[in-house]
Amino acid sequence: MTTQTTTPEDILQTAQALRWEVGSDFHEHLMESMYTEAARIADRAITRPEKKPRFDLDRTIDRLVTSRAFGFPLMLALLTLVFWLTIAGANVPSRWLSWLLLDTLQPILKGFGVTIGLPWWINGLLFDGMYLATAWVISVMLPPMAIFFPLFTLLEDYGYLPRVAFNLDNMFQKVGAHGKQALSMTMGFGCNAAGVVATRVIDSPRERLIAIITNNFALCNGRWPTQILIATLFIGGLVPAHLAGLLSAMSVVAIAVLGVLFSFLVSWGLSRTVLRGEVSTFSLELPPYRPPRIWQTIYTSVIDRTLIVLWRAIIFALPAGAIIWLSANITFGGISIAEYLINFLNPAGLLLGLNGVILVAYIVAIPANEIVIPTVLMLTVLVTGASGVGAGAGVMFELQSNAEMTALFQAGGWTLLTAVNLMLFSLLHNPCSTTIYTIYKETRSLKWTLISTLLPVFMGLAVTFFVAQVWRLIAGVL
Amino acid sequence: MPNPLISLLVAFAITLLAVWFFRPERGLFWRWQRSRRMTERVFEEDALKHIHQCEIHDRRPTVKSLAGSLNLSLDEIASLLEKLEARQLVAVDGANFHLTASGRAYALQIIRAHRLWERYLADATGFGEAEWHGQADLYEHELSPAEISRLAAQLGNPTHDPHGDPIPTARGEIVYRERIPLSSLEANKPARIVHIEDEPEAVYAQLVAEGLHVGMTVRVTESSSQRIRFWSGGDEHTLAPLIAANVGLELLPEEPREQDQLGERLTSLAPGEQGRVIGLTPRLRGAERRRLMDLGILPGTLIQNTMNSPSGNPAAYSVRGALIALRSAQADQIRILRENDES
Amino acid sequence: MTEQTLPKPTSTAAPCETCPVHNAAHLLKLGVDMGDADFVVALAGNPNTGKSTVFNALTGLRQHTGNWPGKTVTRAEGGFEYGNSRYKIVDLPGTYSLLATSLDEEIARDFILFGQPDVSVVVVDATRLERNLNLVLQVMEITNRVVVCLNLMDEVRRHKLTVDDRRLARDLGVPVVPTAARYGDGMDLLLQAIHDVASGATMGKPYRVRYESPALKHAVEQLVTQIEALYPNLPNARWVALRLLDGDEKIAEALQKGELGDLSHGDLAQRAAQMQVIGNQ
Repeated sequence: MTTQTTTPEDILQTAQALRWEVGSDFHEHLMESMYTEAARIADRAITRPEKKPRFDLDRTIDRLVTSRAFGFPLMLALLTLVFWLTIAGANVPSRWLSWLLLDTLQPILKGFGVTIGLPWWINGLLFDGMYLATAWVISVMLPPMAIFFPLFTLLEDYGYLPRVAFNLDNMFQKVGAHGKQALSMTMGFGCNAAGVVATRVIDSPRERLIAIITNNFALCNGRWPTQILIATLFIGGLVPAHLAGLLSAMSVVAIAVLGVLFSFLVSWGLSRTVLRGEVSTFSLELPPYRPPRIWQTIYTSVIDRTLIVLWRAIIFALPAGAIIWLSANITFGGISIAEYLINFLNPAGLLLGLNGVILVAYIVAIPANEIVIPTVLMLTVLVTGASGVGAGAGVMFELQSNAEMTALFQAGGWTLLTAVNLMLFSLLHNPCSTTIYTIYKETRSLKWTLISTLLPVFMGLAVTFFVAQVWRLIAGVL
Repeated sequence: MPNPLISLLVAFAITLLAVWFFRPERGLFWRWQRSRRMTERVFEEDALKHIHQCEIHDRRPTVKSLAGSLNLSLDEIASLLEKLEARQLVAVDGANFHLTASGRAYALQIIRAHRLWERYLADATGFGEAEWHGQADLYEHELSPAEISRLAAQLGNPTHDPHGDPIPTARGEIVYRERIPLSSLEANKPARIVHIEDEPEAVYAQLVAEGLHVGMTVRVTESSSQRIRFWSGGDEHTLAPLIAANVGLELLPEEPREQDQLGERLTSLAPGEQGRVIGLTPRLRGAERRRLMDLGILPGTLIQNTMNSPSGNPAAYSVRGALIALRSAQADQIRILRENDES
Repeated sequence: MTEQTLPKPTSTAAPCETCPVHNAAHLLKLGVDMGDADFVVALAGNPNTGKSTVFNALTGLRQHTGNWPGKTVTRAEGGFEYGNSRYKIVDLPGTYSLLATSLDEEIARDFILFGQPDVSVVVVDATRLERNLNLVLQVMEITNRVVVCLNLMDEVRRHKLTVDDRRLARDLGVPVVPTAARYGDGMDLLLQAIHDVASGATMGKPYRVRYESPALKHAVEQLVTQIEALYPNLPNARWVALRLLDGDEKIAEALQKGELGDLSHGDLAQRAAQMQVIGNQ
């Protein structure tokens, strides 16, 4: 071989020829010798204690949290505690924020608009539409998230969450998913967008996609208030007052559990059909427990998770507020766009056991589930022409008194079926636009984003349709 | 409001129709898609492949064998051959025909596409081995040479497909290894599986069900005209000679270490017990295999079952100072030698 | 601490021991604008070794770091000043190896190979040294300019282990700095070590693993002879040979285009678009 004439081509040809000789399994031997060397060098540097410590704290904790007897109860207790702290803790600041942003600041801003001589429609668009929708989202969304995320992050930093995945993996394994999906799902109860981001810890492509697509079945923070309100008004009203609270709470929990069941069902279906060809590898490392650094965790989780999600929600709420206001205020022949839409969708809505108002509310409220009920109320006033409630066309509102609200809904033609199907549809419909955007950012694929968006809507339509028909059949027989 | 019963029935009918139309594999939509792909080009390429296959195995390709392999009538084959001759891919001489140089090069490119696609399915997707061949049969006709080269580069220019067949290079170079059929291996001679024939489908399915993979070592304990009994991958297998003939072997130069046949599955360790890894079976492949090796699960590694999850699956193992949860399906494919605690 | 005044990096072509070695052109294509930084530092490490914590401690940024393997998905960049020099630090994705079998591994590998950072800091979990050293050995196959950050020493103490960092430094042939980044322990020493390697005051002589399969040995030797004939100054001919045998198309391409040899004269125009994509991931 003459060194003068060696060219890259020569080298590549030699390599190709040699490759037939060395075969394809040398790679593994290569890794092996690397690891052997690594182990040898490590052994020389590390001195382990003479005797095994009689008491290994990590293992002791592990035995407890993964034991047959205590594993699940402990997990349920901790998660319940987190949820309880979130709900109980968020109540006060939520009310305070809504008093500040909605009841106090909004009239001031509107008054200010009038003072500086803004035309009524600019004033309405800005403060009744855009500001109100955004303020609504912030006051409902911010407090629970600011409590839930740090608590969850603390559990994560301590190292407990991987143990939860370990305990639950068997269940997820059976439907073709990953144990860590338990965590993205739990996160989804706080916020689906954050839940989708949380699927990053699943390093197997197939299982990660499953977790992303099914995250929407975890009833998020923005949907709990809808469920609770409708359950209280319609289902709690079925029984004597002293049982009302219990029954309505149970029906909300039943919806959440139904969501979990759906997410298992869909995971199972996906892993056997469209996702069959995606790579699947299971690995779950149980890191050593580390004492969490509380202040740092709170700081970073507020910055990283809460504010980022909130920011995205605000960006989507602003145009939504504008659209809601405009649709109720732009009229053709004395009828607003919203009313045209409602009339158009009403037959389909009624077939599904819902109504046109609800369908329109879900269309314009894609940006945030938080504004569905205020929009439904506003639109109901618009179509029924009820007087004395609400603050005008396009202005979302909520009523303090349950009786008033029930009366308004009944004027809008609502029945128990409407309420039940609304609860079902609130669980099974497209993710909010923040989540859709997040899914696109995480998967970088239009296909998976579309599937995650459309699959739950179709399921929602199918389920509500089926329930409505069976309901009417039974009602007809009775 | 429409009658609920009627609307339910209508919805039911629509669903049935949709299922009938879109049902995976057998739905009308998919059948239509498949028939659209069956173009003239596909027949031509399949014919070239068949003739090439015959040449390798020293068989004479005939119009009849072509008709059987392509599922066409004799007349159709005759006109197909005419076209191939006109394009100077096949030279016809009376009843005999053979590939021209350019025909052979063409055939090799299709084989390259087929085997690369199988490699791709095995390494980079989650499809099971039973689906590789069928999918590759479709895609071999659809990939352009540029796409094939890109795929090869992405996969690290593999030399063999997952069944052990060599993949021709872009220039058409191919090196076949000598191999002995499992049915004629002498008892007690160590050998390694280098090839598993993927046709016919039923025989391949049986070999897959036995858990045999390229790269496993084999030692025959009993070889008769009724059955072949042998050890491989830590289990004893029994196959009919006709089926065993579809497994190609290469003799191992030295006696393999005892561990190649003995050893237990990692799942046989109870909590607190430990062992030393002998190896990962070839059933663990692609991303999953690399992942386990990244985590340090390699021959010689000390591994201890530290605890089971409440349901027993997965279990957590201590490996090189880390605690790693593995599912039973994975741990079953890791072979270990049990060790006593303080050694 | 011995303060030494550094000669300002100059752009003369003459080889100089203390000049930055990073390849600004490649770095730009990898998505890193050097700006007015003097040196570039790559931060590599296994997932969940506190790599992000080290990054935050060095830069004063507060990226969230969780107790999860594989938290850092996107690449983070930051800067710091030390000993009159400005440093740009790039937090690479956490990987177990550099075999480029996943996108993360490829990003990390390409950055160290083509970007030629002045220093590659490998953060290792001192409590799981065996597993972590694998990556250190692989990084040392590619570059000589390595500093090992022996992190989580607080955990080592808690588990009553002792890790002999001097012995480790001797065995590996590169500086080893014990740290507990979560408490800021050892960060000053780490900065000093980075500075020493960047400025050329310390020159590592990394230990390189020798693989001993006869067939492979023969093949590698044959290739190394050819590669060294073509590129006499290549620091990692052996590694390149192994990658070629493994059918690594990217390395083959880089070899053809001369990017592995004299890195400052390679024609990068064609690869620019591709690298940009990786840089943006």
